[in-house]
Amino acid sequence: MAGARADGELILFWTLPVLAAIWVSAFFLFPGFAHPMSPALTAAQVAGFYRDPAHLSLIRSSMILFNWFGVGLVPLLTLLVLQVKRMAHRTPILSYCLLGCAAGGPAVFLVADIFWLLAAFQPGRDPQLTLMFNDLAWMTFTTAVPFLIGQSLIIALAIYLDHPGRPVFRRWVAHFNLVIAAALVPAAFTGLALSGPMAWDGLLPFWLKNTAIAAWIAVMSVVLGRNIYRQRAA
Amino acid sequence: MTANTGKPARAIPGQPDMWVLVLFEALVFTAYFAVYLFHRSAHSELFLRSQARLDPRFGTLNTLLMLTSSLFMLRCVQASRAGAIRAAMTSALITGLLGTAFGVSKITEWIRLVHGGSGFTSNEFFEYYFFLTGIHFLHLLIGFVAIGVIACQLRRRERRSQEVVETCATYWHTVDLLWVLIFSLLTW
Amino acid sequence: MRSIAWHWRNNPKRELWLAWYATVVFYNIFFIVFFPVTHAQPPPHPGWSDAQVAYWFARSHGGLLAGFAIMFAIAGLTAPQNALIAYSMRRMSVSRAFAYSYLVMYSLSALPGMLLLCVVLSVGALRPGRDPAQLHWLYDFGFLSFTGTMGIFLIGSLVWMLAILLDKNRVMPKWFGYLNLCNALTEVVVAPAWIFRTGVLTWNGLISWWINIAVFGIYTGAFIMQLRNLILREDFGDGPLPSLAEATR
Repeated sequence: MAGARADGELILFWTLPVLAAIWVSAFFLFPGFAHPMSPALTAAQVAGFYRDPAHLSLIRSSMILFNWFGVGLVPLLTLLVLQVKRMAHRTPILSYCLLGCAAGGPAVFLVADIFWLLAAFQPGRDPQLTLMFNDLAWMTFTTAVPFLIGQSLIIALAIYLDHPGRPVFRRWVAHFNLVIAAALVPAAFTGLALSGPMAWDGLLPFWLKNTAIAAWIAVMSVVLGRNIYRQRAA
Repeated sequence: MTANTGKPARAIPGQPDMWVLVLFEALVFTAYFAVYLFHRSAHSELFLRSQARLDPRFGTLNTLLMLTSSLFMLRCVQASRAGAIRAAMTSALITGLLGTAFGVSKITEWIRLVHGGSGFTSNEFFEYYFFLTGIHFLHLLIGFVAIGVIACQLRRRERRSQEVVETCATYWHTVDLLWVLIFSLLTW
Repeated sequence: MRSIAWHWRNNPKRELWLAWYATVVFYNIFFIVFFPVTHAQPPPHPGWSDAQVAYWFARSHGGLLAGFAIMFAIAGLTAPQNALIAYSMRRMSVSRAFAYSYLVMYSLSALPGMLLLCVVLSVGALRPGRDPAQLHWLYDFGFLSFTGTMGIFLIGSLVWMLAILLDKNRVMPKWFGYLNLCNALTEVVVAPAWIFRTGVLTWNGLISWWINIAVFGIYTGAFIMQLRNLILREDFGDGPLPSLAEATR
């Protein structure tokens, strides 16, 4: 009760679990994720995937959900920017860096989403065309790591440069972000393999990347939440 | 660069920085002209034939308008230096009006050409014609902003900067110079 | 090495220097990837036939995939550059709206202005057996998106120009403000690339690419030097910055 500011910050923060629930549902709803599509599939097989009536409505609904809520992570990123602004830096430049990365990530994801929806829009078209749209979607989605790597590195840097006695985030958060950044790098190189662990359905670009993103969202939400509540109580 | 009011007349009119822009733009346009001349010599028959479709009256009128506008810009700067602010404002206004007349004339000429079947994509000569006159027109529009800045400076009582007035005038003269070069290239 | 460690711990400008070095590193990698590795620059010809396009993809296959993979990993380095430029505007006597507008615009610019080309050309190179007509569509998509997304850089340059010309803190020299105008004009000059498939105004044309890239190269070199001067002169105050001679005394 004491010091309760009606500034909406907490509301923004608590959209996160709701968003996470929606994302996870959409993720498993999309038949292309639940059992990741291989880049080695032929055009006929990819066209078959989109033409399968059991798949079509699932593809469209999951992608529409992603389209609606794809940018939902931006409030979390902005709240993190505000935390970086509280750190003991001489200039606001690191918060600007983080803000810049926050814009890029969701935008690239939306483009991938559009390509999947396009592929599903006219499943009866030439299978070669459907294959191309599918390729564009998967490549965009999988290689959409530069800003995620950037924001993890910037957060880590910001923490390392923060006042060591009264840090806004503890040092392990910085180490964690470095690990996440490293885990995301292999996905950038997925174009070099059409099968195996480096293909876009493979261990590194799919499983490691998406797990890393999920872990990052979970961990950063928790430390952010702890900070927000601690700062509001003070 | 801060203007020291107690200083005697500067060696360079206006901000020296503006001359960097002038020289840089001159270099870029020289490159454009070189490209044009090279292709003209390769297709001289096509270029000459297409040039004949331009109405020389427009070119002459436009050149006169531009040169006269520069004359009035010069009078504006001189009046401003002498402290005759109303005369300076009038000259600036006339410069703007002449520039506007040039713009209207140019657009009219473009419309007539397009309706006559010579558009941006019609042939190689007109590709250059519309490109060069188009990019010049853009510089003219920026020139109007410069005149606006002069008018704002002249309106002020205190902290009026003669340097800014001269800087904008330098830019306007550049627009005039570029026109004369383009006109010569395209019609000869 | 010890000097670097000392600077890491003690230099109050370390975050500015890190952003500056990130910018320099980015442009070096960008140049190496786009020119010798992928051969995406200078751009190939927009007037080619389907067969010629297919041949280009086949010939550059490995370089395209490897080079753009590197860009996917390091494109985050554009964030410190935009942040540093936005910071230069925040140091000026003008409204913070300039810094924030620039930051927003340029943060998004990497998507249409670079990443789309990387994705699309990678997809083109991914399957050597693809129909040449489709490859041609991807080829046009990639190069036009790269060359033809002009609005962000046009308006962004004008925003920075305006901030510099209005600034009373002498953060950047006025001539550099005017150079921003030249850079903005290159975005207009490149617009005919959407119209022409032959001639000097194509996406690889003498005027729209070669002369334009010379202007852009000079502009980029100039702003990297100016940002360096800014950091050297920075006194973390609010008023006019000292000159370089005073700051490095």
